[in-house]
Amino acid sequence: MPSLPRIVVSPPRPGLDMGAHYGWIQSAAIRCGDYVFVSGIVAVDPESGERLNGTLASEAHRAFQNLGLVLEAAGSSLARLVQVRAMIYDRIEYDALNRVYRQYVPEGPPARTVWSARIMDAFKVQLDAVAVV
Amino acid sequence: MASREIIVPKNDKLNVSRNFNLPHSPGVRAGDFIFLSGMLSTDPASGERSPGTMAHETRQTLSNMRHLLESAGSSLERVVKINVLLYDLLEFENMNGVYRQFFPKDPPARTVCGVQLSAGMKIEIECIALAG
Repeated sequence: MPSLPRIVVSPPRPGLDMGAHYGWIQSAAIRCGDYVFVSGIVAVDPESGERLNGTLASEAHRAFQNLGLVLEAAGSSLARLVQVRAMIYDRIEYDALNRVYRQYVPEGPPARTVWSARIMDAFKVQLDAVAVV
Repeated sequence: MASREIIVPKNDKLNVSRNFNLPHSPGVRAGDFIFLSGMLSTDPASGERSPGTMAHETRQTLSNMRHLLESAGSSLERVVKINVLLYDLLEFENMNGVYRQFFPKDPPARTVCGVQLSAGMKIEIECIALAG
């Protein structure tokens, strides 16, 4: 049985190339068959790559918009997300996350687990996602 | 284009995301796989959280996971990857003792992590399973 092709999804905007800007050794996403596996997404400016550290809400908005750009480059979209690990720096901001989160997945939202974790570069949010095309 | 279908438990009381108005679904079936949200210990009779010892919460959470998977035509035997989040890794053995009873043979791939959890709960479990 032939294995699925493994297609590297290139960063759709120069600022989303985390390898070029920060030396993170990762592709923006990998597509295998109908599935898209996305690298952890944080709040960076999609054109300049500048870190946009801010409130949990501002970072979550930017991260979701960046996630949307990567998914669209892979032939998918936010509406086609199936599972998300939403990492936040402190559980105390759980409700702040939800308030932003629901705006981006209003209908039939993906399965999700919120992980409280320490995130690189003092970011407050990181989104780890699987989607289908 | 792969199919993408929201799955819900047959027991309405266990539809936590809807009952607590949270922005996720209990699970999503996409192609040949089912992806579940993180699950906490929930009382299947009342729909309320059911905190207790690590053993109790582990048993209740995995029972509810079995129900949700079976509601979607899958089962615990078809789980391929599971992530177990604990409030304190000191309780690893207390989780593991109960966990073993649910996966007596050829258990799924698993990662265990210590994290902060909501509402004073001790364990949260998420998984990916093969569909029906």
